[in-house]
Amino acid sequence: MNAAAAADPNTGQGVGAPVLRNEDRRFLDGKGEYLADIQLPGLLEVAFLRSPLAHARIRGIAIPEAHRGRVFLASDIAFAQPISAVGAAPGFKASDYPALAVEKVRFVGEMIAICLAPTRAEAEDIAQSIQVDFEELPPLWDMDVALAPDAPRVHEHWADNVVVETRIAVGDLAAAERDAAITVHRTLAMGRHAGVSLEGRGVIAHHDRRMDELVVYSSTQFPHVIRTILARALGLAESKLRVVAPDVGGGFGIKNNFNPEELAVAALALKLGKPLRWVEDRREHLVASPHAREHRYDLTAYADARGRLLGLKARVRVDAGAYSVWPWTAAMEAGMSAGIMTGPYDIPVYDGTAVTVCTNKSPLGPYRGVGRTGAAFAIETLIDAVARAAGREPADVRIENMVAPDAMPYRSVTGKLYDSGDYPECARRAVAAIDLAAVRARQGRGEPDGRLIGFGMASYTEQSAHGTAEWVARGLPVVFGYEPALARFTPDGKLILHVGIQNHGQGLETTLAQVAHQELGIPVADVVVRHGDSSLSPYGMGTFASRSMTMAGGAVSLACARMAEKIRRIGAHLLQAPREAVRLAGGQVWFGEQFVSFAQIADAAYLHPERLPEGEDPALEESAVYQPGRSTGAFSYATHACTLAVDPGTGLIEILDYVVCHDCGTMVNPLLVEAQVVGGVAQGLGTALFEEIPYDENGQPLASTFLDYMIPGACEVPDVRVLHMETPSPHTRFGIKGMGEGGAISPPAAVVNALNDALRRRGVELACTPVTPLRVREALAAAPRAKTEVVA
Amino acid sequence: MKLPISLTVNGERVEALVEPRLHLADFLREHLRLTATHLGCEHGVCGACTVLVDGAPARACILLAVAADGADIRTLEGLADDPRMAVIKESFHQKHGLQCGFCTPGMLITTLDLLARKPAPDAAEIRAGISGNLCRCTGYQGIVRSIQHAAAALEQAEEA
Amino acid sequence: MKPAPFAFHRPASLADALACLATGEARPLAGGQSLVPMLNLRLTPVDALVELRGVPELAGATETPDGAVYGALLTHAAFEDGQVPDVTRGLMRHVAGGIAYRAVRNRGTIGGALALADPAADWLTTVVALDAEIGIAGAAGTRWVRAEDFVLGPYFTVLEPTELLTAVRVRRLPQTTRWGVCKVAVKVGEYAETLVVALIDPARGESRVVLGALDGAPLLLPATAAAAGAGTAKAALEQTVAVELAGSDRDFTPADLLLHATAVTRAIAEARS
Repeated sequence: MNAAAAADPNTGQGVGAPVLRNEDRRFLDGKGEYLADIQLPGLLEVAFLRSPLAHARIRGIAIPEAHRGRVFLASDIAFAQPISAVGAAPGFKASDYPALAVEKVRFVGEMIAICLAPTRAEAEDIAQSIQVDFEELPPLWDMDVALAPDAPRVHEHWADNVVVETRIAVGDLAAAERDAAITVHRTLAMGRHAGVSLEGRGVIAHHDRRMDELVVYSSTQFPHVIRTILARALGLAESKLRVVAPDVGGGFGIKNNFNPEELAVAALALKLGKPLRWVEDRREHLVASPHAREHRYDLTAYADARGRLLGLKARVRVDAGAYSVWPWTAAMEAGMSAGIMTGPYDIPVYDGTAVTVCTNKSPLGPYRGVGRTGAAFAIETLIDAVARAAGREPADVRIENMVAPDAMPYRSVTGKLYDSGDYPECARRAVAAIDLAAVRARQGRGEPDGRLIGFGMASYTEQSAHGTAEWVARGLPVVFGYEPALARFTPDGKLILHVGIQNHGQGLETTLAQVAHQELGIPVADVVVRHGDSSLSPYGMGTFASRSMTMAGGAVSLACARMAEKIRRIGAHLLQAPREAVRLAGGQVWFGEQFVSFAQIADAAYLHPERLPEGEDPALEESAVYQPGRSTGAFSYATHACTLAVDPGTGLIEILDYVVCHDCGTMVNPLLVEAQVVGGVAQGLGTALFEEIPYDENGQPLASTFLDYMIPGACEVPDVRVLHMETPSPHTRFGIKGMGEGGAISPPAAVVNALNDALRRRGVELACTPVTPLRVREALAAAPRAKTEVVA
Repeated sequence: MKLPISLTVNGERVEALVEPRLHLADFLREHLRLTATHLGCEHGVCGACTVLVDGAPARACILLAVAADGADIRTLEGLADDPRMAVIKESFHQKHGLQCGFCTPGMLITTLDLLARKPAPDAAEIRAGISGNLCRCTGYQGIVRSIQHAAAALEQAEEA
Repeated sequence: MKPAPFAFHRPASLADALACLATGEARPLAGGQSLVPMLNLRLTPVDALVELRGVPELAGATETPDGAVYGALLTHAAFEDGQVPDVTRGLMRHVAGGIAYRAVRNRGTIGGALALADPAADWLTTVVALDAEIGIAGAAGTRWVRAEDFVLGPYFTVLEPTELLTAVRVRRLPQTTRWGVCKVAVKVGEYAETLVVALIDPARGESRVVLGALDGAPLLLPATAAAAGAGTAKAALEQTVAVELAGSDRDFTPADLLLHATAVTRAIAEARS
């Protein structure tokens, strides 16, 4: 290595470096461009008339004469096909989700009419003036109400309100039951909540006269896929449709669906030839965006006297709401939960049933952690219960039950192939970091302020970057098997990466540049990442399922590696050096002390082909498509451990310490990885402690504003201590595993375990989320006082 | 009926005729095309629309434009040349105090005010100080570190 | 989520403001921190708003030998920052600093908060505990109403639609009075789940304990106050609190009782500490 290269200020920008973000500047200057920031001449604002009732037949709609021509109903966009997401599982009941309600409304918030005006306020005035004649039907406001044998049906042509029921049964459960020294049964419930990106959803659609195409801006996580399904639903050629995701103010899964709002706005813009804009407001978001969670569990664990699990029986019921979201289908939550239930544990016998229930609520969709947050809540609270029954420390029982590192790769009882890692070591590190012995000693001393201290932990495995095999197995309408990248130099030697993912906070405009740096030695600041526009980037699947770094990172690596070869060939030629003797660093090709810059190489490649080696094609552009070596997924994993204090007089919970030890394989940027973990934990704490949309017996959502729906603020989230382990995945480029969702998976389980640890001496155990102060107080008030004193 | 208003926005005199129901955030965003002021809830809870009104932070979504008649409004765009804000922005960059960027303008303006009133806040005071600004991405840790970094940098700049 | 249309008046004097309100159809607008969200949500239909910002009679504070009169338009931040005379030994300043968030405290006013009479809001319980008087201006002039008589229930006061809340008159707390506040909220800055203000003055034999954030008006707890003032020990005091809460005309669940009893006990403990 020569002196010049050693002094290269750009080293330390590749895979593994904590590079600061390229995309920060525009956001810090307030120059990000989110959907609602886009203006077009002649733009009309959309307000939807949404159903105030949970379940009703529409007998008539009266539009005031003054507003005729500004209100549009289902019949006005009848050419738009309804959304239909049909799962492949036998017995899956299909339903159509129309853009605008046709004869019936099935949840509060379902769209009935589109109202147009120059301002949103005027559009809302119009919506308010419309009279709908409803015939009210009995609301299916709870999954158990919907499951009652004589319940009315959400979709009349169905035999009952079960969307689908699936079962995984492996091994001899009767034998496990017979051999068990410990049998523990628990029923659990997770509240329904919303995703709450700080920016709501939104759609703009207009006709581009020059291109003769419909341009749809959507605050979405997967613009290319939206173009495909929207073209089908509108009967358009895909080449006549452009979908753009501008800056997106948070997604977390809720912007990862084909929404009726997208269909309605695009269809009406197509029909009228006028630019239309809908910006979701917070109430619409809470009431009518795809909801999250709402699981119920019936669980039985069979274990030996030490708490070693012999078998697990689980029945998962999920309230999927009124319709099946595209492309995930209504069955995703329950199916994923039952399919990953055993998590990091080596459980030989399993009988899991997943029941997806249709109700009169906003449809359930993907939200950070999908299915696994519920599964972890189930198995992790159950393991604590087993440990209590065995009279042992939950941490010890947990670690003893984990898949051993020498068992990797390991096929779980539900058929998942865990690729790599050391789960017990991860758990041990988390417990050591929180200093469990000190927590136990503190519990023995008691607190001067009367609060009760509890310790809780929870572990998970997170299937990430799964490709073709996994998505085919799930039977979805789209198989998300790959990602593309197009790497293109400009003639002045800067690199533009065109990718099919969508960046909305993850830092992909930086991390993908780091991958390019790794292959090409180009300074990260010289790399531009273009994404989110079907006309600018190659067809890709978008950003969700903790996939983008692995998938798009792999594609960028492949394209840039090919590019590096070409640059070496050209550079060596220009330097009159042997190709094997040159290397790339700092945006230059080096041969000993001599170098040529990428700018000189690009200049030759584009503008002076006469300078290229014989037979070398002009231009500097490479594209690649990446699929992981195995498409069953790279499994990240983690243990979360926390200490909390609960105030028995108020029910308030304070998280005193929170540790995450995790392993997401090779980290491209540890700074951003840590921030993703912490951000995920904050959302998981929201699920655990605050967030809930209860429905009353009329099917009315009881939290429809931030005045009654709370997300954690800065005082409610502790400093999270993040410990990293790095076991590279054998299946992916650089050994990357996905990690975007993981932080949100464990907190409900860890917090509820800690709470129950704290309340044990009061004879109280909670089995639901969120554990609000009111729920804690109710449990304490209901606990027999005598027991409180007796239980030591 | 529309009413005339006259106010100062980012140092410039603005005269306009507005509906009484128009809130300041929409006036800034839709009439003046100042889109750094974001709307995250429109009921005064999330803080994304925080701007300075006569030097003090306020929610632009629950302040009617007609009620801001005569006021001096400053948005993030109008703080582009503010040396203290420059330090705060650089700190948010250095300490990874933003992800999707949607809460960022409100968070920056709240920070500017917090550090003016409390130049050396501890972590708990920072958390309390930004408790009225919701962020869904960061879990706040990066933001708290950014504000600590900014406080130290501003103190250093003042000593120099 | 935008408001329905309404008319807007900008009176420059109290007389003008009262004239604007005379039809009974208009609503006064002070800081707007509660009213405008309701307008945005179209939960509160109004025909007209009367902006009070330009009414000089509602601004500022006056200190007198026996207390202070606080104008309705004083913001929470003005109290928090100590910009007004303190006659309550720091109590009002403390309460103000705990209301919502700084950006809200910069706009929200004491008069607006009291006139709205959200039971979970901080000022209502505080002024009842302070036995303050509320100034109400109407066509017939200004009347003063004791705070505990001012509020009738949640969002319900003796204010007529044609009247204006002009000021709060607070008596100076004696040197011997000590105060304690216990506010419990699910999150920092949120509305209170329970709120207790305790003023304990054993020397003068005058103590007052008020429990707020209830389904109804703030609840005075005279037996508890007397016991606290008499220096009753913790266990016996807890018993008194439990008996008094259970014997009140309010419908408390066991979980409510636990919360409120905790808050009462803690506020008293803080006052005594």
